[in-house]
Formats: sequence, C-alpha cells, structure tokens
Amino acid sequence: MKNIAWMTFIVMTVLLLSACGSKSASGGDSENSIDQSRVRVVIGSSSTGGDTYQNAEAVSRYLEDGLGTNMKVDAIGAVKAFDELSTAKDDGSTVMFFHDMAYLGVEYGSFKEENKLENWTIGPVVAINPGNAFLTSGDAPYDTLAESAEWLNENPEETITVAIQAGGVSEIVFDGYYLWAKEEFGTGVSDRINVYVTGSQEDKNQALWDGNADIIHGSIGSNSEYTKKGVEDKIKMKFLGVTASERVEGYDIPTMAEQGITVNGKEFTFDKEFFFLMPKEVDEEFATKLDQAVQEVVDMENYQEDLQKNAYITNYIPAKESTDYLLEKREEVNQIIEEAPDLDKIAQ
Amino acid sequence: MELIGILSPMSIMLCFLGVLIGIIFGSIPGMTATMAIAIFLPITYALDMIDSIGLLIGLYVGGISGGLVPAILLNIPGTPSSLCTTFDGYPMTQNGQGEKALKVGITASVIGGLLSLTILYFFAPLLASVAIDFSSVEKFLIIIFALTIIASISKGSLLVGMFSGILGVFISLIGTFADNNEMRLIPPGLEDQLVYGFSLLPVLIGLFAIGQMLIEAEEGMKPATHQNIELNKGEKSKFKFRVFKNQIVNLCRSSVLGTFIGILPGVGGSAASITAYSQAKSFSKKPGNFGKGEPEGLIASESANNGLTGGALIPLLSLGIPGDSTTAILIGAFLLQGIEVGPLFIPTNPDLWSGIIFALILANIVMFALMFFSIRYFAKIVYIPKYIIFPIIIVMCAVGSYAINNGVMFDVWTLLLFGLAGYIFMKIGIQIPPFLIGFILGAQCEKYFIDSLKGSGGDLTIFFTNGPVAIGLWVLIIAALAYAIFDNLRSKKNETREAA
Repeated sequence: MKNIAWMTFIVMTVLLLSACGSKSASGGDSENSIDQSRVRVVIGSSSTGGDTYQNAEAVSRYLEDGLGTNMKVDAIGAVKAFDELSTAKDDGSTVMFFHDMAYLGVEYGSFKEENKLENWTIGPVVAINPGNAFLTSGDAPYDTLAESAEWLNENPEETITVAIQAGGVSEIVFDGYYLWAKEEFGTGVSDRINVYVTGSQEDKNQALWDGNADIIHGSIGSNSEYTKKGVEDKIKMKFLGVTASERVEGYDIPTMAEQGITVNGKEFTFDKEFFFLMPKEVDEEFATKLDQAVQEVVDMENYQEDLQKNAYITNYIPAKESTDYLLEKREEVNQIIEEAPDLDKIAQ
Repeated sequence: MELIGILSPMSIMLCFLGVLIGIIFGSIPGMTATMAIAIFLPITYALDMIDSIGLLIGLYVGGISGGLVPAILLNIPGTPSSLCTTFDGYPMTQNGQGEKALKVGITASVIGGLLSLTILYFFAPLLASVAIDFSSVEKFLIIIFALTIIASISKGSLLVGMFSGILGVFISLIGTFADNNEMRLIPPGLEDQLVYGFSLLPVLIGLFAIGQMLIEAEEGMKPATHQNIELNKGEKSKFKFRVFKNQIVNLCRSSVLGTFIGILPGVGGSAASITAYSQAKSFSKKPGNFGKGEPEGLIASESANNGLTGGALIPLLSLGIPGDSTTAILIGAFLLQGIEVGPLFIPTNPDLWSGIIFALILANIVMFALMFFSIRYFAKIVYIPKYIIFPIIIVMCAVGSYAINNGVMFDVWTLLLFGLAGYIFMKIGIQIPPFLIGFILGAQCEKYFIDSLKGSGGDLTIFFTNGPVAIGLWVLIIAALAYAIFDNLRSKKNETREAA
C-alpha cells in the first residue's frame, strides 16, 4: 500500500510540475508584460456553463501569453464581483469581465447605483454573443416574433406568456418586443402579453415544456440542440428571431430588425457584448497593456476559432472608445426602460 | 478490451487520479465534488475530450464517495449529500464498528453507483422524457415528501423537531428573491454579505463540526479521548459481505430513488439521500434502531447519494439539462471543447457516450478498490487525540469555507457563526439534523411553490389537480407523516413504560 501511495504522489507531482512548466514556459511578449504574476478575473455570473464564463475563459487563456502572467477566472456572480472590484488594488491584479447586464442591472435596479459604469475604468470590448434569441414550441402557430404579435391581433381570446429573467439582457429585449407590439397593434394586443419571470435557462426551457410559457428567451448556444431534426416533439423548439443586429452565420434565423420590429421609429436590435471593467483608479500602464494585449488576441485565428465553436464572434472596441460607446448604448436602452412595462404588473 | 479502445491509457490514468483527488476533496469537510470539478475545469481545455471525461467523472465519483469518511468517523458530513450518513455511521463508530461502517458505506456506494449507471445506460432517453413531465408541482411535492423525514428523525419531541426544520427553512430564505431581485429578511448592515443568503457548506460544517467541538471543549478534552474508540470491537464488528444479505431490497430501492431524484433537474443530491433514508426507516423491521448505529440506514444514504451520479447524468446527456450543481459544471467542460449537449448528444456522439459509461464503470471500481482496501489507514483518524485533530479540522473547515465561493471571507464568518449557533442549539434543544434538512430544502421548496402558482395563475388547487403523480405523492406524504406520528407516540409510550 505504501508503494501505491508513493507512486500516486510521484505521478501527481510530475503532472502538477508539467502543468506549471507549460504555463511558465509560455512566457510573454516583453513589451506587453505586466508586473503581476497572477491576475484574478471575476465574472458577473456564478455559472461555468454560460456564455460569460466561456468568453472570459477563452480571452484569459490567450491573454496569459500576451501579458506574461497567469489568469484565473472566478465565477462568483455579479454582486460579489462588483464588491471584489470595489475593494481591489489599483495594480490590475483583480479585474472584472461581464456583459451588458453590468449597466442594465443598475438601470433596472438589480444592482446598486454605486456599481454604475462611471465608477469603474471601462476596458476594451472583446466579443459578442450574437445568438441571443427568442424561441417557442415546435408546433406554435407562428414562426417569428412579429408573427406572434400578429397572431395575437387575429385571435383576441389568446394570450402569450414570455419567460425571461428580470434585470438583464432578456428583459431589455422583451421590452423591445412589448413596446413594438403596443406601438404596432395597440394595447389590445400588448395587454395580452404576460411575462413569466424565472432564473436559469433550464428554468425557462422547463416553463415552455410545462406550458407555463409560450415564448422563452434563450440563445443559439444553449437552445439550438432542441431545434434540430429528430428531436422528440414534446421538447422540440423553434427560433422566432435573434436580437443581434446581424444574422448568425450558419443559422437561418431572422433578426428582430428584419422582422420590422422597431421602437420609437428605430429598428430594434441588441448585441450582447462582453467587456472588461477595472477599478476606477487602476494603474494606467496596466490598463494600456491589457488593451494592447486584447487587440492582439482578437486578431489571432485560434482565438477566433475557439469563439466560433460556440457561435461567438470577436468585436474589439479599444478601451479609449469603449467608455463612450457603452455610455451611449446605455442612454439608448434607458429610453426603452422608461417606457417599458412594470414586470410586477404584467407578471403571470 | 473495448474499454482500452475507447478510453486511452491517459484517460484511464486521469480517471484513477480524478477518483483519488475526488476522495480527498470529499473527505475534507467543506470541500465537495463540485469544487473539485470547478478547479480542474480549466485544465480540461488542454486535454482531449475523452481524457477530460475520464478526469472529471473520476472527480465526480470520488468526490461524492469521499464524504462518507468524515461523516462516519467524525460526525461531520464531508458533503451535503452525506448528511444522513452521520445518523447511523457515527453511532457505529462510537459502538466500536468504525471500520465496518466505512466498508458498509463504501460497498453501498459502489453498488448504488453501478446500479444507477446501468439505469443510465439502458434507460437514459426514456427516463429523461419522463423527467420533463415532472412540472414544478411534482417537484414541490417531492421536496415536501423529503421534508417529512423531519418528523421521523425528530428525537424526543416531534414539535421541537418541526420547529427546528421550520427555522431552517426560514434561514434558507434570507437573501434575494430571484423573481423580483428584492432582498428580504436580511439584518440591517449585512445587505452586501447576505445578498445571496448563507452558503450551504459553511452552515453545514459549522453546525456539525464547530458546534460539536465547542460542546466537547466545554466538557474538557483529555489527551486520550479518541483512543478510547475501538475500530473493530469484537467479532460482531468485523465487516462481512453477509451484512448485505437482507439488504437487497433496501439497496435497490435506495439506489433507484437516488437515481430517480438525480434525474429531476434542480431537486439535488441531498434530497436523494434524505428520501432514501426516510424510506429505509419506514420499511424497516427495526425502525427503532435507526439513528443508533443501524447499517440499514447507512446503506440507504450511501447507495442513494452514489445512485445520484448516474441519475444526474441522464437529463444532462439526454436533454442538455444538468441534474445537479456538479453536472452543471460538467456542461462547461463540454462547451469549452465546443460540444453541444442536448437531446441528440447520445446518437451523434456514440464514442463519447461509450467513453462516459466506461469512465463511470472504471471510476466506481477504482473508488471501491482505493477506499475499501485503504480504509483501515483512513480510519486511524479516530486514534489521533482530539486536541490535535480538532485544530486541524477547524483549519480545514475554514479553508474549505473560504474556497467554496472562490474566496469569500464572509463564508468563514458564516462557519463560525453557525458553529456558535450549533452550540446554542444543542444547549437549548433545537435539533440540528431537522434544522439542516429545512435549510437545505427550504429555498427549493419555495421556488417550486412559487413556480407552480405562477403556472396556475395563483390557483392553489393545482397541487391536487395536476394529475395522478401529484395525487400519488400526496398519498406518500400523508403516509410518511402518519407513520412518523404513530412512531413518535409509540416510542413515547415505551419510554413511559420503561420509566415506570
């Protein structure tokens, strides 16, 4: 038994050393190298299966080489991630990676006001998940979001319930759909659109299968498997439209804009974008090096291929432009939020 | 030979390594299979998918199994799903049957794991299809059914046990209500720390480990206290496979229950072992021995929590829905490799599917071999004097609590706070196991209750009119409650008679 224990110990030690060796051997570009030997990347999601983790993990993996450091992605959830960032040192040893929910959560009241974008240094925008979408059951009497509202208009006895998560991307895109239906067909239709507020993607799927929701918010990455040929009718889904400004390559799903969905006369689209946040007074040199390293990473074919595996695309916006870009995007969604219905009133 | 064809020597070695590391994680209070998989997840990117599967499945099986060691030897559940293992495992250790208890637990674990694996292999798509027919109404009733165990494990006073359980449910509701993102029940000034409520692991090990240590510290620790425990006291304490002779039904029922509860997404592993334990007690010929060192209870708990491993993989591989928190992280491993997990996963990835099955078989066998034949060394923990082992356990608990949410200091304070609470609970008679069961199941109970009402438009009759499964579950709930009340009255009568 002692021999087995020793053998196991030796194998584990060799494996660990070889893993460490491969990290340190990768080295880094001397121009972009940073002082920290380890950077902690906290993300606004507590899931390691979602798009935030996948994007954070991919960009961190490639940035390690560029910055000559080790990066560790910690899925601790938005509130804790903001807390960590607010108490983090200014040397860049802790940064946050998240998506549009970072500011949508503040606007919808899910996150504290002190977490607003102005209180952080906004780093570069890195990627887009263009697959944000709405889905329905395979046998639903409509094939697009626009048709669902038309169907409600033609069937005054019917209602549609949409499963979304409160305070995030799914709420803003639902608001867009609701306001368009109201503008296009009047309150006679919009009053018959309800929401089923729930949490995870699994909960939304189950709500559809239970018949508690007619339409759910989802994504190509999470839901396309249920739309394929050969899937049992009971769980079969179909896409009603993607929320991004452009179609996703390889999928025949129209955008909301293509379906004629507008809000306040403008085409309604919403790109879910991922970006870095850093402490307000972060070391400028670190911020610059991170930005340069991200720029190099997004040009790498391997990185692009890795993102492509899950239907994500690179979308580099340099740090010096990203602040204005995101503040402008926030301003636009604010107008929608002001006009949007109170979920408490339309919740089922 | 097909095993070698599908699993490379590398994946077999990684599976072996995964089981070993998983057992270590499971054995350390505060560290879980979920944590082990989360830590190793980024490494899997550099490996082939089949090698990753070997490692991750090894960690999963090892992590779930390792929890029984501290549960049996130290009365500290290493993982939430080994909570019920403490009920009979630790009394067996105190009765001088520690080694036997460990071997019974390990054997029950491997049988539970292999049975659930068989169910996974032959019935995965069919069962997954049944699982999605379980709406929030049925899930709520299953949680209520699991909660009925509170009535049957309440020692002394049923009323106090129920109060403890309800207190646990109440504490579990502290935090943010997900449907409207409103915080509730949070003491002023602790909004930042309690935004997601108390974490389960620090509460669990605080109440069990720290609370118990405070009680023992109060009584004084003689240097040789632990050495008084014998691991093999007499011939009766020797482990023999014969102990399973009359336990075939219990083993099968508990493994199948564990597998089935694992299939239901969101219900979780703790509910699996709690329900199996409750059922074993209800069907037992000697229910009065439960909680006093009855191998039957230990077998039920351990076969159910390992039964969960195959069960939780069923919705994951047949529908793309994780059955528990650990399989939710496994999805991440697939996605990192660009593999979509969904309803067509099995037909479109036959090699990977076979690899998973072989990895599960291998992991269960390795787990059994590693634990069964080395357990006599593990078991020697009880010979370490308490004044040495207790500080080590406290440090491990603190490290585990700090690490469980990737470095949150408040979780360490939670550990100490609930340690103190455990000490007070024991002093004033609030029972810890019912409290914990309420705490573990409370939030899920609320979620499915609310979801059911959202689906029915607020109509409470939905719980009685949702179909035959709901009615069947009500019958089980009422029968379990009636039995618990009857059992409670009977034991009170016995006590009065003995006193007279």
